[in-house]
Parts: sequence; structure tokens; C-alpha cells
Amino acid sequence: MKKIFDGFFTGLAWLSGLGVILVVTLLLGFLFLHGMKSITLTLFFGEIPWLEAITGQAPVFDGIWPALVGTALLVLLSSILAIPVGIASGIYLSEYASRRQRAFLGWMVDFLSGTPSIVMGLFGFAMILLLRKTLVPKAQTSLLLAAFCIALLILPYLIRTTQAAIEGIPEHLRLLGPGIGFSKWQNIRHILLPIAGRGIFSGIILAIGRASEDTAVILLTGVVAHAGIPRNLWDKFEALPFRIYYLAAEHRSASELEQGFGTALVLLSITGLIFLTVFFLQRRAEKWWQTR
Amino acid sequence: MTSGNQPMVSIENLWVRFSQKTVLKDVSLSLWPGQLTVLVGPSGSGKSTLLRSINRLNTSAECQTEGTVRIRLHEKVIDVYRDPFPLSDLRRRVGMVFQTPAVLPFSIEKNLAMPLQVTLGLSGAVLSERVVWAFQEVSLWDEVKDRLREPAPTLSGGQQQRLCLARVLALEPQVLLLDEPTASLDFRAAARIEALLARLKQRYTILAVSHSLSQTRRIADRVCVLKEGQLVQDLARHQLEDADAFRQLMESAF
Repeated sequence: MKKIFDGFFTGLAWLSGLGVILVVTLLLGFLFLHGMKSITLTLFFGEIPWLEAITGQAPVFDGIWPALVGTALLVLLSSILAIPVGIASGIYLSEYASRRQRAFLGWMVDFLSGTPSIVMGLFGFAMILLLRKTLVPKAQTSLLLAAFCIALLILPYLIRTTQAAIEGIPEHLRLLGPGIGFSKWQNIRHILLPIAGRGIFSGIILAIGRASEDTAVILLTGVVAHAGIPRNLWDKFEALPFRIYYLAAEHRSASELEQGFGTALVLLSITGLIFLTVFFLQRRAEKWWQTR
Repeated sequence: MTSGNQPMVSIENLWVRFSQKTVLKDVSLSLWPGQLTVLVGPSGSGKSTLLRSINRLNTSAECQTEGTVRIRLHEKVIDVYRDPFPLSDLRRRVGMVFQTPAVLPFSIEKNLAMPLQVTLGLSGAVLSERVVWAFQEVSLWDEVKDRLREPAPTLSGGQQQRLCLARVLALEPQVLLLDEPTASLDFRAAARIEALLARLKQRYTILAVSHSLSQTRRIADRVCVLKEGQLVQDLARHQLEDADAFRQLMESAF
């Protein structure tokens, strides 16, 4: 009986693993099949020569270039806003908070991570309405507002992974710093953070992925279909996930739908590229630490 | 180091509680310069807690300590729990090595140099000299001098533990607290550490925890037995000479 159970669960584990590979392969295959054809310079820049588009000499109306730039700016801005706060909060929760504070704040972080992204979008939208009625009558939804709301959305990933990475450090390493006369902050800065580095980086990767793919938040906080490249932080913007949503929902021809698949493929490649870059950076940083 | 007419560390009526649990009960013990005192006792008898109460490393918020721990640092006696002596200085003066080698994910050299830079602000030639001295002190220099920039986790377990000892010695302690320093090592690596301790005890006051009775007999000048938080035996070197008598004593104590 024990053998049968053992075999059954081993088989199930294998099947689940294979299932993931199968689903990912199917998804990628489907996207390649439908989207690969439309990946040309026209998809990116429309009829505008690419050099002029990239250098900003001519605006792009028909291509996904502005959406690509918009998504890149959104990810960059929200990361700048969320990563320092997220890591600092994770450090606070694991190293400074009392048991009661940890339970209460932990619950708040879980609550934040459970908030549907459309609610986060509504929050941003409501904030603009409030600002309009009070301090800033000209306030409008914009890149900065969207980045702020996305930052709120990805904050829990960063907090929890940082906290878990630091709390997971074994006791003999955790006591090493205090044991050789380090202050609390010296211990965090020189011992705990380098050891927890890999875990913290994985949180950053998760957060960036989440920031680049979310549509619901930006829908209510500043994204529009044909905004072009934003001129400043208070401008409207385009974004790849919204472009995909827009093309899928409102395409007027088969070729527009194919463009949607192509755009999805581009978004996927960009996220993959960001993951690889962060992964590479992390390995480099680790090597740098280890050999200095 | 001064002669042994005054204890280096004197613990009087020490009680340590964690929440509701009393871990150490009325422990009194003195440690003398030039002596290696080995602390033995069953698991959970409070050995690590006693070690950590000397350098105030029982950091948990639930820990309550009563009693007195005095340490003689540079001819000045400090009451560890009452005098306003900087905690970081105390912990540098009373160095600690743990059971598992606490090696950082840095290079071999940085494992030693970083604490010196951070706590003492050393740099340049002074730093390099101190690093070399500490490696030599634990007989590790010849093994690592050509691979200082390699990751420290590539060292063997015994080398890692000697690196940890070197890191503590580099900070110029007067007392060494060793919490089962050979427990995770094979017998050859353990023998090297034992030989090292025999040499180091000339200059440092050492309190070590050991689980091995044969090791205890080999290295100890004095053995203290802790049972359920109380000090139940205090044996001098001559009482360890007869192996059978020592084993019987231990069996009755455990």
C-alpha cells in the first residue's frame, strides 16, 4: 500500500512538472505562431524610419514604440519608488519590529498584496479627484500617478521576500556580527544583506515582472491608446499590456489582431530580458562580493 | 597578559530566564588566565546560554539575566550588566566562535579584513599586517596565502573554523568563548584545532563547550559540569588523569 502511494505521488509530482513545461511551451508556441509574422520594424515604428523614431525626431502613431518606452519608464519609475521602500520595510519587519508590530504590519502587507489591481487603480483615480478638489485643481492621471500605484502593487513582493531572506539566515551567521562587536546596523549592512542578497534579488525580479504586465492599475491612472512618448512625468503615456488589451478587444482586422500577438511576444521578450539582466547583475554582484 | 592571581572572568549567582523557563540557576564560576576551562553537560543544560551571558549575546527580548558577570579588561574590572561599558567593545574583547563555521559569502581575505575595517577602522598596511598575523596565529597562512581572493566557502570545514578563530583573534580579545568548535569537523581537523587551543591558552582565557569526553580529557585544565542549569561539578586537571575515574564521574553527573 505504502509503495502504491509512493508511486502515485511520485508520478503526480512528475506530471505536474511536465504539465508546467507543456503549458509554457503551448503558450509560447501559440504566441510565436500568431505573432512572429507581425514582428517587423513596422510593428514598432509604423511608417516612420526607425532612426527618426528612436531619436524622437518624428512621432510614432501606428507602432508600439511609444508603448515600449512607456512600459520601460513605468517599470523604471515604479522600481525606483518601490525597491528602496520595500527592502527597508523588509529589514524593519525582520530586524527591528517587535513581535506585535510584526504581526500587525505583516497582516497589513498581506492585505496590500491581496488587493486586486483594479482597486489599486481606483485608489489612484480617487486620489486625483481629491487633489483636484483640494490642493492641485489641474491634477490629472499621469505616468507618475500610474508608477506610484504600481509601486504600491509590487511593494508586498519586495517586503515579504526581503523579510523572508533575512529571517532565513541561520543563527550562527545571524549572531556573528553582534559577536564581533558590530552594531545592529553594521550587522545588517555588512553581514545580513550580503547573505540575503539572492533572496532579495528574486523579490526584485518578481516585482519587475508584475510591474511590467499589469493593465488594470494603469487603465485608471494615465494610460491611453495614442499618447505618444510622454514628455514629462505628468503626461499621459502608452504601455504594452494596455496596447495588447486594446488590440485584442477592439481590432478591426485580422492583421491588427496579429499585431496584438506580436506585441504580446515583445512584452514577453522584454520581461524575459529584464529577468536575465537582473539575474546576471545578481550573479556579478555575488561574485564581486566573494572575491573582494 | 597578567599572572593568574586574579580571575579574568568571575560569574556570581547568575540566573537566566527565557520567558517562563529558567535556563541557568545560581551559577557561580571564575575563569583564570592561561587556563582552558571546558564546559560539559547534557543538551539543553544551558551551556551555550552561559557562554553567551558572558559577552551579553543572549539577545532575545524574552531573556532576563540576574546576577553578576565581571571581566578584567586591561586591569580594570567591568561589571558586564551594570557598568556603562560599550557593548561592541565588550564583544570584541570577549571573542566567540560557534559550532558551525560562520563563514561569510566573501573572499577569504575579506572575511578577516571586513570586521577590522568596520569595527576598528583599520586600513592599508596596518590592516594587511593584522590579517597576516591572525592567519599565522591559527596556522592558516601557508594554506591560504596564495588564494586570499578566493571565496571563503571553498575552504574545508577545518580551515573555515580556523578562519573564524582568526577573525576573532584579529580583534585582539582577552577571553575566548568557544561553543563546540570542533563539533562539525572530522577528527583530523578537530585535532588541529585542539593543538591550536593548547597553544592559544597561554595567552587567552578560554571557556569552551565540548560534547566529547575524550576531547575534554585531552584539552581541559579544568572541567565544569552543567546539569539542568546548575553547576554540579568542578574538576581540576589532576582529576582528569585517570580515564576510568573521569568517565565514572561524568556518568554520575550526567
